[in-house]
This record gives sequence, C-alpha cells and structure tokens, in this order.
Amino acid sequence: MTRRSAAGVRRSSTAANVYIGAVIAVAVAALVLSWRIAGPPTDLVALITLTGLGILGVRLREPDVGSRIAFSFISIVLIACNVLVGPTGCAIVGGVALAFEPGRPPRVRAFNVAMTSIFGVTGAWAYILAGGSTQLSDLHGAGELLVHVGLPLLVADVAQMLVNALLLSGVVRLNSGVPFRRFFVQIVSNSGIAYIGYGVIGFLFVILWGPADVGPFSAVLILAPLFVARWAFVQFGDEQRAHERTLSALVAAVETKDSNAAGHSARIAELAEWMSEPLSMGTQEVQALRYAAMLHDVGKIGVPTRVLRRPRTLSLVDLEALTRHSSLGVKLVRDIDFLSGSLDGIRHHHERWDGLGYPDSLAGDEIPLISRVIAVADAFDALTTDRAERPAFSPAQALKQIEQRRGRQFDPHVVAALATVVDRHDWPVTTASEEQLDQMRGYLDHDDPIAWEKVWTAAPRSGQIVQDPEPATRRARRRRVDGIRDDPRRIPDESAVAEQVRAP
Amino acid sequence: MRLGLRDLPSRLRLHRLLPVVSIAVAAGAVAAAIASPRLPLQDWGILAVFAVVIAVGEVNRIVLPGGRETAPMSLAAGYALAMTWDVGEDYRVSFGAGVVVATASVGMLAGAVPALIRRWPVRADDLAARLLSVAVAALLFRHLGVWDGQPLLTLQDNWASTRWVTAISMVLVSGVALFVQSFCVAMATASRDHRPFWRSLLDEVRQGAGLGAALAASGTLIALAERPMGIVALPVFLVPLVLTQFAIRRFAGIRETYGQTIRALSRLTEIGGYTRRDHPARVAALSVAMGRDLGMSDRDTLDLEYAALLHDIGQVALREPIPGGATMMAAPADQDRIARDGAGIVRQTGVLDHVAVILASQAKPYRHVRELGEDLPLASRIIKVANAYDDLVGEARARRARKHTAAIERIHLGLGYEYDPRVVEALIRVLERRAAVVGAG
Repeated sequence: MTRRSAAGVRRSSTAANVYIGAVIAVAVAALVLSWRIAGPPTDLVALITLTGLGILGVRLREPDVGSRIAFSFISIVLIACNVLVGPTGCAIVGGVALAFEPGRPPRVRAFNVAMTSIFGVTGAWAYILAGGSTQLSDLHGAGELLVHVGLPLLVADVAQMLVNALLLSGVVRLNSGVPFRRFFVQIVSNSGIAYIGYGVIGFLFVILWGPADVGPFSAVLILAPLFVARWAFVQFGDEQRAHERTLSALVAAVETKDSNAAGHSARIAELAEWMSEPLSMGTQEVQALRYAAMLHDVGKIGVPTRVLRRPRTLSLVDLEALTRHSSLGVKLVRDIDFLSGSLDGIRHHHERWDGLGYPDSLAGDEIPLISRVIAVADAFDALTTDRAERPAFSPAQALKQIEQRRGRQFDPHVVAALATVVDRHDWPVTTASEEQLDQMRGYLDHDDPIAWEKVWTAAPRSGQIVQDPEPATRRARRRRVDGIRDDPRRIPDESAVAEQVRAP
Repeated sequence: MRLGLRDLPSRLRLHRLLPVVSIAVAAGAVAAAIASPRLPLQDWGILAVFAVVIAVGEVNRIVLPGGRETAPMSLAAGYALAMTWDVGEDYRVSFGAGVVVATASVGMLAGAVPALIRRWPVRADDLAARLLSVAVAALLFRHLGVWDGQPLLTLQDNWASTRWVTAISMVLVSGVALFVQSFCVAMATASRDHRPFWRSLLDEVRQGAGLGAALAASGTLIALAERPMGIVALPVFLVPLVLTQFAIRRFAGIRETYGQTIRALSRLTEIGGYTRRDHPARVAALSVAMGRDLGMSDRDTLDLEYAALLHDIGQVALREPIPGGATMMAAPADQDRIARDGAGIVRQTGVLDHVAVILASQAKPYRHVRELGEDLPLASRIIKVANAYDDLVGEARARRARKHTAAIERIHLGLGYEYDPRVVEALIRVLERRAAVVGAG
C-alpha cells in the first residue's frame, strides 16, 4: 500500500508542480485585479494588526486531538478582513501570514501562501457582492448589523470554505491520488460546522472593532477566550496521549510477570483492529475492541506465578485458577468509565462458539462480537509464537489450525475475517532465542488451542470440557463446568481453593 | 494541637461562613433595590434576560481539572451585568449595584434549583464566591469614584472616541472581581482541606488564570457590544466562551479518566494478592491529606497521589507475595528493590517521570538526608510514613485505638532515623482531625 502511493507521488510530481504554479499565478492575478478594481487597503492600522494576528495564528502549536476538533485562527482573521480591509487587504494578510508558517518545505509553503491569498480575496468579493457594508458607522441596531454584515459574512464564509476545499482537493489528487470528489466531500463535511463557528466569531470581531468603536484592541478581547480554549485543547491532547501510554506501559509491566507472553497484548490489539475492518465494525466498537484486546489478559496478575511459570505439575485446581483470569481482569478495570464498552469483551474472550468455554459457557451469538474477535486473534498469535515443544506455525499453517476449529471453538465469520487479514497484511511470527526456549520449557500457553486441548485431555474429567458427548442446555453445561468443584478430591470452598493454590 | 495563624481558616470554618456572608450581601442588595427609585420597564426587560442567562450558566457548571466547580457563563454574564451602561446607542440603564446583585442572586439561585431537585450536591461556598465577586465588580464600576469623584459608569461619556480605554477599565474591574473570587475560594479550600492559605491562593490564582482571562474578556465584550447591538449581544457574545468551556470540560474529563486508570492499576497488586485490600487507596488518601497539610501545591499533590497509589507496583515483579503485603516488614534491601522495580515500571510510560522519581526514593530512610546529604523528595518521605502507618494498623476495625497507639509509638522509634519528623507531625495532625470527625459523627 505505502509503496504504491509513494510511487504515485513521483510519477505525478510534474503535474502537481504545474498545478501549484497555476495556483500561484491565479493568486497574483487576483491580487493585481483587486488592487485595480477596489484599490489598496485604506486602513493601515487594521491591515498591520490583522496581519500580525494571522502570523500569530499560524505559528501557534495546533492542538493534536484528532481530526474532529480543528482550530483555525487564520480563518477567523480572514473573515474579519473581508469587512475591515477589503479584497486587496485580504490577499495581503492571507499571503503574508502563511509565509510565516513554521516547518513547511518551500513547495508546500508557496502553495499555502497562494491558496490562502486566493480564498481571502474570494471571501472579500463574495461579501461585497452579497451586499455587505463597509461603512459600519452608518449601521444602527442588531437588525441592520445582521442584514448588512452578518448575512453577507456568512456568504463570504461559505465561499471561502468551498475555494479552500477545491484547491486542497486538487493538490491532494495530484500528489497522492486520492479521488478529487471523495476528498472534497470529506473536507466539507468535516470542517463545515467549524467554518460556521469561524463565521460567527469573525462577525463578533467586526462588530466590536467597528460599531462598538473598540478598534484593534477588540482582537485581544475576542481572541482571549479562543486562546484559552485552544490551550485547553492542547492540554487535553497531551493528557490523552499520556493516558494511553500509561495504560499500555503498565499493561506491559503486568506481562513481565508472565515473561513468556511479552508483547502478546500489543500484537493482539493490532491484529484485532485489522480484523474489525472486514467485519465492518463501527468506530466506537473498534475502540472498545482495541482496549479489550490490550487488556484481555490483565487478570493474569491474579493467577499465582507458580501456575503461570511452572505448569508441569498443573492440577485441575491450577487450571481453574488460570481460567479465572478473564473475570479477574474485569474486576480490575470495571471502575474505568471509558472501558465500559470493553468489559464484556474481556470477560468472555475464552468463550467457545459451541458453548464449552469459560467463564459463562455462552454459545454462538450470545458471545459479544468483541470477544469472538479476540478469541481468534488470541489463538492466532499464540500459534505463531515459538514454543519449547514446537517452532512457531507460519501464518498459513496457523490459519489452517484455526479453520479446523471453525464452528466448534471459533465463529466462522470471524475466522473468515482472519483469513482476509492474513491475506492482506504481513504477519511476522514471534521467534524466541535458545535461552528463552529453554526458559519456557513446560510452559503452558493458555491461548494455544492445541496445547490447551492436550492439557485438558491429560487431566482427569477433562473430556467434559473439550468434547461434550451430548447436546445439553446451557445451564446444564454450566453445572457440569462448575461440577469440577464436586470432585471429592477437592475442596469446594473457593477461598480455600485460592489458599491452597497460593501455598508454596 | 499547636495553634497558629495557619490553622485560622479552618478554625473559623470559613467554608461554612462564606455562604452566610454572601446571603447577607444578597439580602442587603435586595433591600437596596427595593428602596431605590422605580426602574423603567426597559430596565426590567434587560434584567430579566440577564437573570435567565445567569441561571442557564449556573445549570451548565463545569468541573475544573482538580475537582473545583465553576460556572463560567454565569460569571461572565454577571460581570457584564455589573458593567452594563448603554443598551442600544441611545438608551442608558439607571440601576445601581444593589439591583445588579439582587438580579444575580435570583439567577444563581434559580440555576441551582435543578441540581437541588435531583439532589446533586451544590457547593454553597463556590456559589457564594461567585456572587460576592459580581457584587465587587458592580460596586467598582458603578459607585467607586475613580476620577473627580465620578465612577467609571459616568466616565464612559468622556471616552466615546477612545473606546479601548473603556475596554481596559472593564478588563481591570473584572480582574479585581476575579481575584476576589479566587481569594474567597482559597479561604474556603484552606478551611475545608486544612491547607495553608497562601498555598491555596497561589494554586487558585495559577489555575484560574487561563479561564479568568477568558471570563474577564467575555464580560467586557458583552458590556461593550450592548451599545451597538442591544441586549442581543448577551447570548451572542457568549459564543467564544462556550467554546472555551467545552474545551476545559474535555480537559477535565480526560484528567478524571487518567485518575480512574491509575486507581484501577493500583489494584493490580491487590488482586494479585500482593497487598491487602484497599491498601494503596488508604495510603494515597493519607498521603494527600498530609501533603495538603504540609502546603504542597496541587500539581505536586497530584503526583503524590499517583505515586502513593502505585507505590507497591514494584511487587508485581516479585515471584511470591510478601506475607500480608506489608513492605514495611520486608528487609531494607528488598524494600529498596521493590521501590526501584516500581520506579522502573512507571518510568516506562515516559510520561510519569515525576512519579517515578518519588517511587525510587520511597524506601530510603530519612537519615540519608542528614548523613549523606541526599535530596529525598518530600513526597517520598510522606509515602514512607503513610505506608508504615497503614502497614502497622492494617484494616483492623477491632482494637483500632490500641493498634493506632502502637503504630504511632513504633513510628516514633524511627523518628529522625527512618522518618522525617516534620512529616510525622503532619501525620499526627491529620489523624487527630480524622479522630475528631469520627468522634463528632
């Protein structure tokens, strides 16, 4: 994918350069024409103030909080320019401000200067054509201000947005081959509402500057709340990233307890996210899936180290302690509000399609989709990891193993999604050094379906779990799983079991 | 208990006193409003719009990062009301500060009604601080003679051609009013959380600066725009502030989520069987109370809280849990290793470096400061003492008093050698206050 788009840039770079040249030529022509028709800007104080504001706007750090919240001071400044300094002034303010944009290669900088200058001029002419007034002192009362300044500004605002989207879509089409129409629609639908906001704030700015006679000082008043908002968004973005990193780093720390599973959670999270695509899951569900995948084994912290590291002597008690990790994980993270969508995913990630899994013996569609995806991703990653008793399966072999369990352990649809993903993406197997292999001798990976089945068959009474001889109701099945406790060799009380497990 | 100036706010119970003062001011204002000459009908209309907007602003309160509540839209509208002079180019309002405060009280009370009905907690001291702040703005703008005995209100006619002077004077008035608000809130928090007053004020001013600038600007904007636009200016010119409020809400939300995540992670050791139930949460609560008592800033207190919650995280690397999870009983070398492991884990996040530094030195004895000249962070010394106390007392409900005495005795044995005497004093003060609360309840 990446290779193809990179080549695309090289192939069409001449076309892109011609396009950028044309945009620059149009910008110059627009400036000259405006100068000839509307004359130079008369209010030099306004011109200088607004240019300064524009420069300030482009030099400030953009809040990095995802595409949905965008902030563009320059758009607000240009809207005020439409009224205060006329078309020529707009071209100058837009061009000069963008020339100061930090960290751009010259080609991009030149394009941005020309583009901003053009959409500034467009806005100013749209304002004049829509009957906008530049003699603000003649207007009295809210009604007149709205009709002769507010509405024309709205027209100018829309014109600016369309020209901006048009010019940008053109250059993106030529540079990276994104279809013109798709990008155009995307920009308009993403920033449309924001532009209306810019229009309103620009209108307030103009009112304060002209009719309220405050002049350049109004910039301070109007922009103070916006600067604070911007500052808060920057903080929000920083804190959000800090939160993500804290979460993943501490999950990694839990993995140190079970060093044989290092990196497993992060790999699952990536794989699960890929699989969400062919399953056409919604944005929110994908988010919940990613977190659930990252945290699915966090409950292992509650499993005694002895069980995790020295499984040769594993008894059914130990196995049961191990199976408690999915519900323990939920107990651990249930107070975190933003994970509420992921809790079920974590709890049920070891359920089986045929209803023989744990902890609740759910079957088929009763199992949350998130859990079904994690179950498949989990097994796939386990199989493609080097173990002491066998080398890692290749992705194709691992897929085959999983397909054999389709309809019994795994949801057929999800397995199909995995097949698509394996076909599409490159999945490197996780290798281990001799030393690591030596260390994991006898280690039981509970996610590895082959190893898990073997252990269950080896343990007494395991047949009930892995192969159910007769169809039964869910409650009956659950009773049977719980029935392990009825084994006279074992102590029924859960706390007593826990104590026994913990004893050295 | 030692008596001193620093205990003054708490001993006067200022957070209870503040609402009383504020009610008195509101009552006085209502009386003044009734006694004043009849207002023209147009004034009533303007006041009604302001009262409604203030009420709506109160309903849409926000919680700032750090947990304090505020109502930016209500405050901005209150300041604008205090500084309203011309509404429309040829109409001047004739009301005074009494009417302003009476209107603001009506709006603020009306805004608190929905919360009261739903039995959500309403912070009376914060509400009182807002009302007092509006009263100060109204007095400053409408009655205080600043030039030839004339108040700013009547001086506006001299500044028709230099309106930016009006703007600056309004920003200054709002600034003073905001400082009064911060001052009141700082007194209330110092009293409620038993912190030194100067520290509360510093935190309040530092944290309020950003939002304060937005508020002062918005109040000024509205008052100025009322002249060309009329009363429509009030809702319209609040738009920039709505955006600010939205952004701050998002920021506070993610801060809250972050806290939840850290608290959940602090239970890793508990669920793993390494520590006793709620041990990290108890140590954190005790540490925060001690940190506040010792005058730590909000920023440092947050780091202290996170560090206290995560102080045992190093134990997850242990092969087998320590009996009862009490690190206090472990050998010094083990304690140090757990501390270093914990710091290592936390440092891997790349964003909690301050917390990692605190964790790294949490097991070091205090004598390192005197004998080796080491610089142990205050937060580490606090966590060491809080952890020791909690390990010694445990969850025991029965024989709690005896265990408490024994624990304090044991800590006293290590005074100056193991534990920082100043921090132990803070522990004793915090525990005395807790006992007083339990005794009273």
